[in-house]
Amino acid sequence: MTAGCLGECSIWHQGRYSGDTEHPSNGRSSLKNLEPCLFAEEGSPVHGDVIEFHGPEGTGKTEMLYHLLARCIIPKAQGGLEVEVMFVDTDYHFDMLRLVTILENRLAQGTEEMIKQCLGRLFLVSCSSSTQLLLTLYSLENLFCAHPSLCVLLLDSLSAFYWIDRSNGGESLTLQEMNLKKCANFLEKLVTQHHLILFATTQTLMQKSANSAEGFLPLKLPHETDTDYRPYLCKSWQQMVTHRMFFSKQCNSASSKGFTVVSCHLKRNQIVKRSFSVAECGVQF
Amino acid sequence: MVVLRAGLCPGLTEDMIQLLRDNGIRTVVDFVSSDLEDVAQKCSLSYKALVAVRRVLLAQFSAFPANGADLYEELKSSTAILPTGSPSLDQLLDSGLYTGEVMELMGAPGTGKTQVCLGIAASVSLGLKQHVLFLDSTGGFTASRLYQMLQAQTEDEEEQLEALQRVQVQRVFNIYEVLRALQGLRDRLSQQVLSSMGPLKVVVLDSVSAVIYPLLGGRQSEGLALMMQLSRELKTLAREFSLAVVVTNQVTRDSSSGPLKPALGRSWSFVPSTRVLLESKEGSWERSSTQRAASLAKSPRQPTGIQVELDIGNGDVLDPSLVTPTQGL
Amino acid sequence: MQREVGTLPLAPALRARLAAAGFQTAQELLDTGPCGLSKEIGISREEALEALQVVRQECHGDSARTAGGSGATRKCTALELLEEEQTQGFIITFCSALDNILGGGVQLTKITEICGAPGVGKTQLCMQLAVDVQIPECFGGVAGEAVFIDTEGSFMVDRVVDIAAACVQHCHLIAEAQQEEDHGKALETFSLENILSHIYYFRCRDYTELLAQVYLLPEFLSEHSKVRLVVIDGIAFPFRHDFEDLALRTRLLNGLAQQLIITANEHRAAVVLTNQMTTRIGQSQSTLVPALGESWGHAATVRLIFHWNNTQRLATLYKSPSQKESTIAYDITPHGFRDVQPSAGTASTGGTELNPRKRPRTEEEKQQ
Repeated sequence: MTAGCLGECSIWHQGRYSGDTEHPSNGRSSLKNLEPCLFAEEGSPVHGDVIEFHGPEGTGKTEMLYHLLARCIIPKAQGGLEVEVMFVDTDYHFDMLRLVTILENRLAQGTEEMIKQCLGRLFLVSCSSSTQLLLTLYSLENLFCAHPSLCVLLLDSLSAFYWIDRSNGGESLTLQEMNLKKCANFLEKLVTQHHLILFATTQTLMQKSANSAEGFLPLKLPHETDTDYRPYLCKSWQQMVTHRMFFSKQCNSASSKGFTVVSCHLKRNQIVKRSFSVAECGVQF
Repeated sequence: MVVLRAGLCPGLTEDMIQLLRDNGIRTVVDFVSSDLEDVAQKCSLSYKALVAVRRVLLAQFSAFPANGADLYEELKSSTAILPTGSPSLDQLLDSGLYTGEVMELMGAPGTGKTQVCLGIAASVSLGLKQHVLFLDSTGGFTASRLYQMLQAQTEDEEEQLEALQRVQVQRVFNIYEVLRALQGLRDRLSQQVLSSMGPLKVVVLDSVSAVIYPLLGGRQSEGLALMMQLSRELKTLAREFSLAVVVTNQVTRDSSSGPLKPALGRSWSFVPSTRVLLESKEGSWERSSTQRAASLAKSPRQPTGIQVELDIGNGDVLDPSLVTPTQGL
Repeated sequence: MQREVGTLPLAPALRARLAAAGFQTAQELLDTGPCGLSKEIGISREEALEALQVVRQECHGDSARTAGGSGATRKCTALELLEEEQTQGFIITFCSALDNILGGGVQLTKITEICGAPGVGKTQLCMQLAVDVQIPECFGGVAGEAVFIDTEGSFMVDRVVDIAAACVQHCHLIAEAQQEEDHGKALETFSLENILSHIYYFRCRDYTELLAQVYLLPEFLSEHSKVRLVVIDGIAFPFRHDFEDLALRTRLLNGLAQQLIITANEHRAAVVLTNQMTTRIGQSQSTLVPALGESWGHAATVRLIFHWNNTQRLATLYKSPSQKESTIAYDITPHGFRDVQPSAGTASTGGTELNPRKRPRTEEEKQQ
């Protein structure tokens, strides 16, 4: 909560990781095991990747973020990755109680002490406007410098300010997109310079207009995975995304798995389709 | 995107601002995102001074990251779960309304949205002795109905009257009135001017669709932007002051046989963290009753789709003998 | 004052200019002042002054705002509202069963919608209410006046004359029975002619006329401050025939609903609308539902559905914030809207009854 606390954490971690030879030279830990189910074998995310979670309301995007978040902050001894995570909440949507429930279910000894230890690896920041988001990203740079183990950036959601920015921009598209474009450019810089993995959700705010998705997907999706996708965020963002995942809800699911995620590796043209369900303990494949 | 002006932060002088302006740097964002070495050269200002100003501005205008463990501690002490007055609804909501969240009641006309809101107001003001702010945008708030509900819960007249006084009602018939009311609330809460209002726990907005619908269509983005401003205000109020926010919404369907979904479109659908659908059991006005089905359409805690029965006639003190029995139906 | 510029009631173009110039909160605007503002965003000083006035009103007007909302208190405790509701009075319908399920009659400050098939008696009730709203206070009325907006041309002066005459006669009977001083005085002005001259009739032939009429109502009502009833007979008619663009229709109707509830509140008037029924084809069966779609169903606070059961007219209270849903029988007699007489209940066709039931009940013995 306080600057003092953050300072303490950083010293602690720096001391811990300085002599750690297990990590790659850049000081970031491997995220290869983040979630094998989500990515094609060759397409597992590496540092510098930008993954977009896209879908309508109630399709499990945020749950998936909690799932990844939990895997990141759970200690290695318990099967986690034990890395630090920055969660940028633009929607006032982050639900700490939900995350704690998931942790309780996944930790062998879900003691209060253990949970707090895990949560100590999470940093959370809430932004209320695109301007504040931009300034906050600028200010986070120092934090990433000081925390080598802080290697995952989660952003929920990037589309939160879309309508407000659009209206504030008046008739000019450049003005409408200015803040988001600056955010996207700076995110790209953060991700490359600090070897982060960025996961960002974008909401399906508009209905797909005919054929609009064609140009943005490198390959045609199988018919049954019709993903009502319509890119509306600025080009800078569209171009920096390396993986795009489409979330949807199965309407008439006879099986217990109610959600589907179609994951596209945009550079390698690989597609993985997975079903998952959400239970009290979180996402299950 | 705050405009740079003297006194905004130490070290930022009027002369400096003028020099920066001449070089196209007007706002904090312009300043922070520029290459300061370049700026120092162009404006012949000290690079060191610029860096110092940048640091202060960033600290001032960016949000500060909190550590998860600290946040959890804070949340444990500030979160409350408020009973809604209906045991079955509480069960649906995993024991009641959670402070810090926005809960939406959606339903067709006459499915009891306002009744549930009044029930919540009665339960919180009488049972918990906490204050409630009721923003009425449809004229549906009826004090006598609230009074009936209170009478059904206690016979102590003193308590009934006190509970009535703890429910603050504000009539708000357009979006700006709603925003103004919420701003007024924020001001009172942050200055802790609670003289007329004790500890506030619940804000009800009945209904959100009544003030948003007239904005939609036409210049879409205008209306949607205002809608998102409203959602932001509701959510930040809920978080910052640990309030439970309850809103009501209409329902629509894509086709005449499609499933019911909340009105106001996709952008709004993301706003509430919990959503409850109210339906009449009979589905037609020809066989009406006070029985309603409430089902969970969205929840961060419970599986969606679970359904309970709700009697919105609860606490009714109408003398049944006054009512002519239904004939021939 | 942290109120964001985006939430202020300014013209969209102006808001966009303010945002482009980097203004974020209302406080920044106030700090900048009119001169600075006109320079910063390139508008005239007058425009800047005007904008700042709006900002100031929005920000500091929270307490001093009551000047805007005339009459109706916009912010109070539920206790104060309860007292207000209890003293407010109702417009009685002359059908005691209907009054009962409505909780006393048609409520002021609310929108009541009457839905039903043609000929079931919607307009009859509207005309009855336009008369009843004028009943003097000493007879338990609200001593008001009525605005009658007619979209279908179903208003019949002859019927109103019958209804008004019956109402006047009814009050005379009460006065005779109770022999109270103020009764006689009140009756001097409660005449057929007076009643007719206090029903302000407007004929609207299409939706633009209707919208214009509704948006001009506040002005009319401030000149005619005694109006306690606004009837729109046939709300659906103008929106059913010349409407292709459903989105536009929804938006217009929602705006109309908003305007009506504001009118009802600010002028302490009852708003009564009539609506038709339409068939909705469901999955398994088709049902009769009120016209104008589901979204419109939220407009009215109280919704009544009039329907037939063989030859019997029935009214079902379908939506109400305070009363239980229930169904009662009513009748249309030469004297107006009435209860069903127990004796004639089964064979009532409207014309056979000569002796409509009166209220209060003490009167009945007197008459017979």
